[in-house]
This record gives sequence, C-alpha cells and structure tokens, in this order.
Amino acid sequence: MERNIQKNGLVNLAVAVLIFLAGFGVTVFAGSLAGQVTSIFLGLGVIVAGISWFQMRLEENERSEKLELDELARSRGQSLFESKDGGSFPAQNARLQFEKYFVPGFTVLILLLEAGGAWLLWNWSGKNTAGLKEANATASLSLFAIFALLLFLIGRFSVTIARLENHRLLRPSASFLLAGAYVCALTSLAIAGDEAKFPRADFWVARGLCGLLALMALENLLTLLLEIYRPRVKGKIARPLYESRVVGIFAQPESLFTTAAQTLDYQFGFKVSETWFFQAAQKNLAALLLIQFAALILSTTIVFVDVGEQAVLEHFGKPVATLNPGAHFKLPWPMDKIYRFRTEQIQSFAVGYTPDAQSESANTILWTVSHNKEENFLVANRATVNSATVSSGTNDSTKAQAVGLITVSIPVQFQITNVTDWAYKNNAPDALLKDLATQEVIKYFAGIDLNDVLSQGRLQAAEVLRARIQAASNARSLGAKIIFVGLQDIHPPTASDVAATYEKVVGAQQTKLAKILDAQAGAIRLSAVSGAAAFTITNVADAKRVQLVSSKFAEAGLFTNQIPAFEAAPDVYRQRLYLQSFADATKGARKYVLLVTNTSDVVIFNLEDKIRDDLLNLSITNTP
Amino acid sequence: MKKNLITIVIAAVLVVIFALLLFTFQVRQSEVAVLTTFGKPAANNIDQPNLYFKWPWPIQQVYRFDQRVQNFEDKYSENLTSDNTMLLTSVYVGWRISDAKEFFPKFAGGSVEAAQRQLETMLRSAKAAVIGKHNLSDFVNADTKQLKLESIEDEIKAAVQGELASQNYGISIEFLGVKKLGLPESVTQPVFDRMKSERTVLISEAQFKGEAEATKIKSAAERQAADVIANAQADATRIEGAGVAEAAKTLSVFQQNPELAIFQLQLQALKSSLNQKSTLIFDERTPPFSLFQNLPANSK
Repeated sequence: MERNIQKNGLVNLAVAVLIFLAGFGVTVFAGSLAGQVTSIFLGLGVIVAGISWFQMRLEENERSEKLELDELARSRGQSLFESKDGGSFPAQNARLQFEKYFVPGFTVLILLLEAGGAWLLWNWSGKNTAGLKEANATASLSLFAIFALLLFLIGRFSVTIARLENHRLLRPSASFLLAGAYVCALTSLAIAGDEAKFPRADFWVARGLCGLLALMALENLLTLLLEIYRPRVKGKIARPLYESRVVGIFAQPESLFTTAAQTLDYQFGFKVSETWFFQAAQKNLAALLLIQFAALILSTTIVFVDVGEQAVLEHFGKPVATLNPGAHFKLPWPMDKIYRFRTEQIQSFAVGYTPDAQSESANTILWTVSHNKEENFLVANRATVNSATVSSGTNDSTKAQAVGLITVSIPVQFQITNVTDWAYKNNAPDALLKDLATQEVIKYFAGIDLNDVLSQGRLQAAEVLRARIQAASNARSLGAKIIFVGLQDIHPPTASDVAATYEKVVGAQQTKLAKILDAQAGAIRLSAVSGAAAFTITNVADAKRVQLVSSKFAEAGLFTNQIPAFEAAPDVYRQRLYLQSFADATKGARKYVLLVTNTSDVVIFNLEDKIRDDLLNLSITNTP
Repeated sequence: MKKNLITIVIAAVLVVIFALLLFTFQVRQSEVAVLTTFGKPAANNIDQPNLYFKWPWPIQQVYRFDQRVQNFEDKYSENLTSDNTMLLTSVYVGWRISDAKEFFPKFAGGSVEAAQRQLETMLRSAKAAVIGKHNLSDFVNADTKQLKLESIEDEIKAAVQGELASQNYGISIEFLGVKKLGLPESVTQPVFDRMKSERTVLISEAQFKGEAEATKIKSAAERQAADVIANAQADATRIEGAGVAEAAKTLSVFQQNPELAIFQLQLQALKSSLNQKSTLIFDERTPPFSLFQNLPANSK
C-alpha cells in the first residue's frame, strides 16, 4: 500500500510552524542567544517543509492528471491525444515551471537567510551583554527540551518513512525536523549550562550554531553553482535543490558510518566495514553513547584541586567542606559542586592608574612623561592656606585654594585567607577590595599636606595605607590579607607641565647653591689677595724704615767725618760740595748761561716745549 | 531486543533528567529564592541552601537572587558645596537583598540592574543634599580633626537608608564610601596654574636668595679685604714712623755743625728738585759760570 506522503509533508509543515512560533516565544521569554539562532534554524525548517509540501502537491496533481489522460486514451483511442502541445498537460507544466523558477528562487532565499542569520547573530551575540533572564531560565530549558522531544519523535518517524519508501521530497523536511530536535536540545543544555554557572555557555552554543548556519549557507551556495553545470539526463529524478546534506548528516549522524566505511574500504583495499570492530561500533552506537554519558557523570565524582588553589564543596548548594590541593571524591554533579579559588596565589590590582604595557616597558620613568593612564587625587595644601591667610588676614578666601592635585600609582597585592568569607559574603569581593583600597587612598590624601606627602610623608604612607586597607577589608569580612601596598609613584600631575615646574624648583635651588659657592670662592680669593697685599704693604713699609734708618745713620756717619774737613777749610769745602752737587744736580737739565755786560738789554728766550716732533726731528735708522 | 532495551534506558535517563529539572531546584548558600504558585509568592523566602521540590512551570516558578553584598559605583557627578565650590564625587555602595519577596515584584522580575538604577537615583539625590551642607574643607583638609569625610559618608548612607525603609524595597545598605573625589575640568586647570605659581614663587625665592646670599658673601669678603689692607697700611705707617723716629736719633750728629748740615740739606734739595725737564738760566756771576767773567771777551 502506497502511503500518501502529502499528509506527512503537511504534518511536518504544521509541526515546523508550531515549534518555530513557540521556540521564538520562549527565546524572547528567556533572552537566550542560542534560542535566537535556533529560531532562525526552525524558521528555515518551515520554509523547507512548505516548499517540499507544495512540490509534493504538484507531483500528486501531475500523477492524477496522467492517470486521467491514460484512462481517456484507453476509452477514446490514441489519436485524439497525439498532440505534443504543452498546454495539454497543465499539472505537469505547473510542476516543471515550479521546479525551474520557484525552487531555485526559494533556495536563494534560504541561502540569504542562512548567511544573513549567521552573520547578524554572530555580531549580535558579541555585542549583547544582557544575558539570560535567570528567573525564566528553568522554564525555558524545560520547554526547549519538550520541543526537542516532539521534533525528535516526528522527525525520526518522517526520516524512517522517507528512507524506507524512498520519498525524496519528504526527506528535506524530515531532516530539518530531526536536526531541529538536536538544536533545541543543545539550546536547552546551553541554558542549563548558564544556570550551572558554566561561563557563557549560552553564548558559546549560539556561536556554534551560527557556525552551523554559515556551513549550511556555504553548502547551499556550492549546490546552486554545481546545479548550473549538472548534466540533465532525461528520466533521471533530480535531488531537491533545497535539501541540505549538512542538515542530513547533522540529523542522522549514523549515516556518517556508511560514508566513512566507503572511504576506509577504498583507502585500505579491503572491507574494513566488515570487520568485527567496525560492525560492533556501528551496532552499539547508542550503548557507547550511554556509556560515554555515564563516564561523564562519573568523572564529576573526582576532583583535583591544583597547587595554590582551594575549593569550596557544596552539597545541594550548602558549603560542606573546603578542599585543599590534591584528589578528592564527591557525589556526582549536580548534587555536589565545587568552586575553585586561587588562595595561595598573590593577586594584585592597581589604584590610581591603569597599567599600560607600552608605557611600562620604558626603562626610564619621569614625572614629566605620563607612564600610565593616571588619575588625579585631591590633596590638602597647607602652604597655600597659610600664605593666603597671612596676606588677606582671613580664612574664608583660602578655602577654595586649600587643595592640590597629585598623581599616585599604588599597586596592592593580596591573598585570599578565608575562602568561605571570600565566596559567600560579597558578590564581587575583588571589586569590593579595590573599592575599599581606593576609598582609603582618597581619605589618606584628603587629610595630608601636599608637600608632606611629596617629601618625608611618603615613607610612612605605604604602611599606613596597608594597615587601613587591611582594617577595611576585615570590617567587610572579605577574607583577604593585604600583602603589600606600594607607593611606587607619587608626583604632581603631568598635565599642564605642573610636574615640570616642580623640577624647575630643584634647578633653581641648584642655581642658588652655585651662586653662593661662586661668591664663597670669590671671597676666598679676595681674602687671600688682600692678605698678600697687606703683607706687601707692611713689608714695603718695613723696608722703607730700614732703608731710612740705615741711610740716616750712614749720612750721620758721613757727616761726622765731614765736620773735620769743613772745619779745616770751610769755604773750600763748602765750595767743593756745592760744585759737586751742582754738577750732579744739573746734569740732565737744560741750561742757559747769559753772558751779558749790558744789563739794560732785554733778552727774550722762547722756553716753550715743542708740542710734537715734526718730520725734521725724526731720526731715521736703517734696520737690516 | 537488546537495542530496544538500550533505547528504553536512554529514554528513562532523559525522562529522569527532565523530571529532576522540572520538579526540583537547588538554592545555594549565596542565594535566596522566592517560590511562586500561579504567580503568588510563598509566605517565606527560601534562604537556606538545600535541594527543594516544586511543581513544574507554569504551576510553580522559582525566582533566585544573590543574597550576598553587591556593590556598585554611581556616576562621577558634580555638586556644589556650601562654600560654592564645584566638587566631583563618586561613591560606591554595598547593598544586599534583605527581603526577596518584597524585592522581586518591585524591580521588573527582580532585576538587579533595575534595583541599582533605582538606588543610583536615590544616591544622587542624597549625595547632592549632603554635599551642599558641607564646605570643601570638610572633604579635604590637612588638619585631620577638621576632615569630615567619614561623617559625610554616614550622612549619605543614612539618607538613602531612610528612603529605602520608607518604601520597603527589600534592600538594605551595608556600607557606603567615597571612591572618587575631584574638581571639574574648568577648576582643575586653575588649580594646576596655582600649583605652578607656588612653584614659581619657590623658584624666584631660590634665585634671588641665591643672589642675595652671594652678594652678602662678596661684600663681606670685600669688607674683610679692606680691613686687612687698611690694617696693613696702618702698620706700614707705624713702621715708617718708627723708622723716622729711629732715624731722628741721628739729628744730634748734624747738630754738631748746623751750618754744614743745612748746607748739605740744601744741596740734597737742589739735586732732588732738578730733573731733565728743568730749564736753568744762569748769568755769569753764578758759580761755576763765574769763570766766564774773566774771559778776555768779557774784560774788553
């Protein structure tokens, strides 16, 4: 008895439409990314089921038309219907027209939906940060599981019917339904994964399904290109253009065995597919999958906690033990779950700056060159308050000036010491610890003078901050120990050359020192020179004294000796002394001797000195 | 037969898994759950960790919430202090869901994001009100006794807690702290300029103090040198005076024949007063030129 496949096709179409609508609704309800891709997949199934059902109807009409014509031919004779005019077979022509124009058109539409859906959802999944709606997650995963079950039952039935009775038009929609069952199951698992706190399970499943859509689009494109060059052999029934082999393999992975067997047989030259191992693997695939599943569940009963880690063991959500490094046994997931924490490892975060790899690789760190993405902290400025108070005589005008800005880079290192407190007291303990550290840094700088912290205050700042951050952490029961707080960088802001101006002060102080040292050097030189001059003056005076005394005593001695000579011949001796002295005294003087007898004559001498020598007075000497 | 058995086992496993998913739920230590029956919440929250049973959706539904302290940071916003200074502040808040069945109907399906948006609205309002009551010196002050950051935090926390309590949001504030403190860009630049001016004062101070110090050292050195020279000259005068005094002892020798002594002094003075530029005009009576009087030409 030949089965009417139109009914199967219609059932497939109806199921595809219903599950598509329901799946879309649940996707919106759950906010699942994997559900969105699944909806696209189910929508494609609706189109394929619709086309195949319509094509089935056309073929059925053609078959009815042929039967009617055959009946008429038998009752009225052959001659009446010898015409080959196409208009005589409207149902056949309708099918041919449908296969010629509509099927390729729909296939192109499917290609566009597959490629566009894959591209859009890939990008969307990367940007979407909303995540699953946790409150609806359980219901959603149950519904997707139910959809999977329904699609599996109907899809499996249709696939079997299509294979047994060789209904080529039933095969595409049946494969889509069966593949839809697996896609829904995957979506259900993705939501369950998110619920079980597997990191972004929904996201990664969505990405995987986008990959499947892209693969289907690629296959569809190749099929369309190859269709152009396919030899049209009369009487040979063509494979439906919209049937996806990728979907077929995804829906019926056991068909891979046939393909693999053929490949192995060809490669090795004997029937590998007839060996006992291959036969056993093919027959017991379901049992193997079941064993695999059991092994997977059993593997969750052994836990290996790595060095440097501690794990909290939860039994039905209740923490029952803290596991140290080593192997541990527990009940299988989801009864017992563990949560790992890096307790030994020294973790760190930065306050006041965002580490920048490029800047940190620099060998020289200067105040004037920004070496990280730095923040400015408000700091008190006592110097400004004091100077302004003195000048204005009031404190009010100085309030707005009583602040400065400072840039600090403070790395904080910590360890988790109480894993239970760390895990259960705060939702994001690491972020909270950073907030607490930042708060303490702000409080510290808000209550300390700018110049103090830039000079001697920084020595104690690190220890004070470490103690304060530890106290704040303890007050919030974070279960963390602050290992180190480093003040690796405190300086005025780099912006607007503030830091550069601080450096100029140092330069000016050096210049001041240089000037003082120069003056000291000059003073030393002057002192030495004046000392020497004083020594010279006193020595010259002393020499004069000695000379004076000596000469006077010598003159006295000479005089004593001259007295007898003078007394012996006073006139002669006087005249001799006079003439000797006259000759000596006037030796270099210009002398005029006036020998006149007539004293009444007037003699005029021109005693003017020549102002300058003229040429006639020059004495020219020849030099070799 | 064997294949059917395996199929039955697989089906049974799947049914058990689905049944467990539909009829049970776990609550973790860090969670609190609200179980609703046809949308009506149960009288008590489920806050003890364990495995619980429920009827499948849509009869019963579980809403889970994190009952640990959650923290968020509000926007870095600008407010006016009582002494008319624009101050930028950001605070972080640690809050927890204190009553889940009150919490989840008020915030679209128990959305934490919606709750934080609501908290932020309250926080901004409370923050603006509290900051407006304080001077800038209450936020930043080198005198820690006058610093009131902690009391400001307490005031903001109290204001938000009061607002939350009045509407019974099912939320409690555990702690609140200032996370960022700053000045707007338009004020930051003048602060930078002022900081630079302070440094410029120090630069000028260093420069001119250096010059002053150097000048002092130089003048002191010059004064000291002048002292030394003056002392030396005085010593020289004294020495010369001593020489004169000593030389004066010889005057008694000259007193033995004053006529000769005075004559010799005149001769010495004559020698000293004549130099090469002197022009002397003598007549024939001046010795030795008196010799010219007896010359024949003259006697004629």
